[in-house]
Amino acid sequence: MTPSNTKQASITTALSEDGLAKKPWWVEQWMELINSYRFKKRLERAWTYARDGHVTSIRFEGRRVHARVQGTGDDPYKVKLWLDVLSDEDWQYVLEALTKKARWSAQLLAGIMPADIERAFAASGRRLFPFKLQEVRSECSCPDKANPCKHISAIYFLMGERFSEDPFVLFQLRGRTREALLSDLAEQRLEILKTISEDNSHNNSEVAISPHPAVLDPSLWWSYKANLNSDLVVITPALEGDTGLDAASDLPLAEDPRFPEARNLFLKNLIEHGQVLAQQAMLQAMETGE
Amino acid sequence: MSLLHATWLPAIRTPTSTGRAALLVWADTWRVASPSGPSTTPALHPFALTPEQLKTWLSERELLPEASIDATACLTLPSRALKIKKPPSKTHPADSTEKIDLPVWTGLPLQAGEPIPNKSEWWPWQVQGLAIEPSAAATWLSRLPLSGENSDLGDELRWWSHLQRWALSIIARGRWLPQLELSRGEGYPHRARWVPLLNREDDRRRLEELAGELPLVATCALPWREPAGRRINRITRLRPEAMRAANPVASCRPRSGRIRVANLLEELVDAQLRKEFTSKPEGLDPLLKIWQEALGSDDGRVLLEDEEAQRLATASHHWREGVAGNVAPARACLELFTPAEGEELWELRFALQAEADPSVKVPASTAWASGSNILQLGEVRVDRPGEVLLEGLGRALTVFSAIERGLDSATPETMHLTPAEAFVLVRTAAAQLRDAGVGVELPPSLSGGLASRLGLSIKAELSERSKGFALGDTLDWAWELMIGGVTLNLKELERLAGKKSPLVKHKDSWIELRPNDLKIAEQFCSANPDMSLDDALRLTATSGNTLMRLPVHQFEAGPRLQSVLEQYHQQKAPDPLPAPEGFEGQLRPYQERGLGWLAFLHRFDQGACLADDMGLGKTIQLLAFLQHLKIERELKRPVLLIAPTSVLTNWKREAKSFTPKLDVCEHYGPRRPTTTTELKQRLQNIDVMLTSYGLMQRDSELLDTINWQGVVIDEAQAIKNPNAKQSQAIRDIAHPAKSNRFRIALTGTPVENRVSELWALMDFLNPKVLGEEDFFRQRYRMPIERYGDISSLKDLKARVSPFILRRLKTDKAIISDLPEKVELSEWVGLSKEQQALYRKIVDDTLDSIARAPRGQRHGKVLGLLTKLKQVCNHPALALKEEVVNENFIERSSKLQRLEEILEEVIESGDRALLFTQFAAWGHLLQSYLQQKWRFEVPFLHGGSPKRERQAMVDRFQEDPRGPQLFLLSLKAGGIGLNLTRASHVFHIDRWWNPAVENQATDRAYRIGQANRVMVHKFITSGSVEEKIDLMIKEKSRLAEDIIGSGEDWLGGLEVNQLRQLVALEET
Repeated sequence: MTPSNTKQASITTALSEDGLAKKPWWVEQWMELINSYRFKKRLERAWTYARDGHVTSIRFEGRRVHARVQGTGDDPYKVKLWLDVLSDEDWQYVLEALTKKARWSAQLLAGIMPADIERAFAASGRRLFPFKLQEVRSECSCPDKANPCKHISAIYFLMGERFSEDPFVLFQLRGRTREALLSDLAEQRLEILKTISEDNSHNNSEVAISPHPAVLDPSLWWSYKANLNSDLVVITPALEGDTGLDAASDLPLAEDPRFPEARNLFLKNLIEHGQVLAQQAMLQAMETGE
Repeated sequence: MSLLHATWLPAIRTPTSTGRAALLVWADTWRVASPSGPSTTPALHPFALTPEQLKTWLSERELLPEASIDATACLTLPSRALKIKKPPSKTHPADSTEKIDLPVWTGLPLQAGEPIPNKSEWWPWQVQGLAIEPSAAATWLSRLPLSGENSDLGDELRWWSHLQRWALSIIARGRWLPQLELSRGEGYPHRARWVPLLNREDDRRRLEELAGELPLVATCALPWREPAGRRINRITRLRPEAMRAANPVASCRPRSGRIRVANLLEELVDAQLRKEFTSKPEGLDPLLKIWQEALGSDDGRVLLEDEEAQRLATASHHWREGVAGNVAPARACLELFTPAEGEELWELRFALQAEADPSVKVPASTAWASGSNILQLGEVRVDRPGEVLLEGLGRALTVFSAIERGLDSATPETMHLTPAEAFVLVRTAAAQLRDAGVGVELPPSLSGGLASRLGLSIKAELSERSKGFALGDTLDWAWELMIGGVTLNLKELERLAGKKSPLVKHKDSWIELRPNDLKIAEQFCSANPDMSLDDALRLTATSGNTLMRLPVHQFEAGPRLQSVLEQYHQQKAPDPLPAPEGFEGQLRPYQERGLGWLAFLHRFDQGACLADDMGLGKTIQLLAFLQHLKIERELKRPVLLIAPTSVLTNWKREAKSFTPKLDVCEHYGPRRPTTTTELKQRLQNIDVMLTSYGLMQRDSELLDTINWQGVVIDEAQAIKNPNAKQSQAIRDIAHPAKSNRFRIALTGTPVENRVSELWALMDFLNPKVLGEEDFFRQRYRMPIERYGDISSLKDLKARVSPFILRRLKTDKAIISDLPEKVELSEWVGLSKEQQALYRKIVDDTLDSIARAPRGQRHGKVLGLLTKLKQVCNHPALALKEEVVNENFIERSSKLQRLEEILEEVIESGDRALLFTQFAAWGHLLQSYLQQKWRFEVPFLHGGSPKRERQAMVDRFQEDPRGPQLFLLSLKAGGIGLNLTRASHVFHIDRWWNPAVENQATDRAYRIGQANRVMVHKFITSGSVEEKIDLMIKEKSRLAEDIIGSGEDWLGGLEVNQLRQLVALEET
């Protein structure tokens, strides 16, 4: 939890019904897109390329994906990927459609990518997700004339994982960051709400801030009369499978193919640390007051 | 006395500081200070201890943190404006070349417990203390007591210790996730943090509680910044303009709030998880490697490109958002309503609910209508309520997918659920939703908890046939089954269970049936048990009691039973019982109620502890009770009354004057009976036998042979240790194997608050109430004493409260019954040493007085009387000893009694003035009392310098943690001082002129004072003190003559008169 006021994007994946093994739907959809590619051989080579760690970086810069792939030459090749951006007019249709169902806003605010988001985009006649691989525009600095070349294809593979880190990257590629989208949505919703709000007239009247009780009674500066909450009298361990790490499932960080075990090792270390510290905390709690 | 405080210093980033947070520990103390105010920088807190003093003070209390650095911070504190007394300036300010920077405002910071002035202001003060880094702070906080009043520790330390305990609980339950937090701006690093997850309902409640109760001193700091520049250069450091730039005279606004408290919790959790984390870099990719390393490093600094950091931050937030959202003042709430008549579908309404108070709700329509405005929700302000509601609904959807179809419109307000969906919500989803941070309100009959379980509704009344009432009596009673507030019989239950639906409607209410309900009900019906008065008392003592596994939801008592229950549970004052025939004196109204209460419990054969505040007349109430038994012809056998030796005299005196018809004897001294025959002989026609605790234990075998009607213990704290032989002997004599004895305990200490002593007391009064000692320790003592567990305490109090009657002299109902001054005579005896010394002095001196020429006689008589009064105080005083030796307390009965009474005064948090006419005694007593209680006891006497006197008086009157006892010599302290903070006045020795004593008493007593003042006058029985007291009381002619003439009249006594006056009489 970040109680700080930073407007950090809060994002989450919808947990799929089949549990953790299944990828989020948008990752699945992306993989299907790649697998529909006709040149299977090239795809296989690209997969080996990606797995062997030839992709040294992938960055989302604005509406484009910039990547570097170490080829046979000394310098890595530069790869760019992008989708067609929606025009402001198109976005306006999407926004209007999105505000019609409270659920879409609700899920987006809670960090969930609605499974039927394309229906909102359909209002503009456009799509959020590319329908065909050809819709994904790309450029590579390698000498290979074919597009996609194996460098670009390698990026395709890794992109899927990256989408699981943050599904809202798709909005970004279509021309709106998640923050921009949410604030546009809020604006749009206000427009609708104005029509239902009865007394819009004194909407902007300031609600008086009542002074903090300590201003009226300075003794509150010092006094604390409460007793220890009964739940904290005995400090108990987590129930089986009830720790934060259990609840949070997999760390949504794209796998670096060179270190396939990295996430597991990282989580394992955290889990072990958590268990040791939980024991210590209980011991410490028991010693209190002795 | 000093008071310890702890204030959080938030992290700041300056060129010279790493921006790490710390806990500042500091202390203030009462001293005389002149007002000051901020100039270029905040003024130095005039009452704070220096770091050196603080360290010494902390090590004395074993509270010195393992690692700390001296630190200065700027704290915003409530302050009292005071003008500086202008120094007589010789030069006109305009002439002065040096411009004096006079503060615009001057005053003093307030201290905890100090009376609040009419107008208080908030000003920053520079406070020195020790800064402890977060992980050491967490360890240090774990060592603090979790409960109880501790005179050395500020209230907020308990708040801190509760916060740390919560942090421990979070760690024990593993409710945390690591996060990457992006830099807050230029100069701040990206940081790896361990972040607590506060989505669970109980954690959210706790956050609200700790935020609501936050003592602001815990967070009132602006950190002290070193001005920029070379730190080595002291001059640079002290340059005023640099200081001003670094530390503007600014104050923290009084704010509390969940975000602040959540931040503090995060600091504690992060520090503890970070401290022992070892990174295991093998097999990790570079990104995770760096993150992991930073999670174990001191400052959590992450050295990553912004781009990579952004990626990691997004992923980690995404990870956390799946579990927990942000801390907000309000949350979405789903309200379930039962179907309307004839309908099938249940209504579910969306609402916005305040976190701080779940009863404050507004419907979704209000949230939608407020648009972008702030919504006032009870006491909190919700920014963009619509967004808050939507986010919550999004979260709800992940747990309870049925609401999806309700969110199809733009501004949904309500939807319908099928019976199956409603059941899922009631049974499982409600709890999951609450854990996800969404409020759920169910119809009352389904709202979970005990009320919605199958239970009983009971009606009962005392049987018509029973005349009095005894615990075993069977009651007339009727019962019905009850679920969710509606009653039903077995047939109806069978019919409903036959519907095979978990949610069924009965008598217009929807109730939930559990699979086992029918079976349990059938078992109960076939057993059809009886109910005794004992059962009724138990079932009505606390809620949640069960009868044959069924919880009792409702207990309706008929008027006669109700009246018994109310008195028993002390829900209403006991019926008063007027003073019985043969009682010489008057009972005040509350004493009549006390008498009624003793008689009430006696009828039930229950032990009773009368724990009235000192001075309310416990002795009188007990004597009246015994007299009542006697008049009612219920006193058939002798009663054994056990008391400390020091009060035996007092008992005899009081019995003689209030209940002369009671035949009282004493089992004490070398000539006491030693065989059963002798003792039985002695007890012929005796109503009450007095003995001391010591003799009770020594002669227990002998005393066991008597068939006592009852056992009374005075100063019942004497049996606080259940394993002491004395306590066991008393327990045995109170509970003989065959016969039955009434048990009464008297004490002036707040017994109900002394958990450790309650068991022994109840073991004497009513052994079954608290169970075995081991059970008691596990169930009550540990949770309450160590952790301050309030629910265990409530339960314990409910169990014992029927047997303890404690009234305070400050109670509204009591205060009106009391005169403004209550005079109490404390009768005491003489120790063996005192008696011998007394006799020797009388014998030696009387002859010489008789032989002395008239002129010298006067002086000699006064000398003799003075000497005897000194003996009554303490032999050491008469023998001119100057130090307190080992057996000091045993040598004087008066001192023993004084100590016992003072113990009660201190326990109750009262303050007392102690007057003596002997400065030497004052000095001895001062060092004795200081040794005994390890706190300062000031002594104001003729030799105290004037300035010091004023300081002593000020401190007694003003210091919130000032001394509780104040010794004064009668001459120096008897007039002119205002000491109204005292509610007890002790005249340790007598001055034979009431006017002088009254003047001294009036130091504490002022007309219009709300407190009642207890005036204790010590009288040594059989000695000259008693005889003169009697003369004054009887207003004999002799006494008439002497009033107003000091003690001189005594000098003129004839030898015979004198002999009678001073002779020590057997008492």
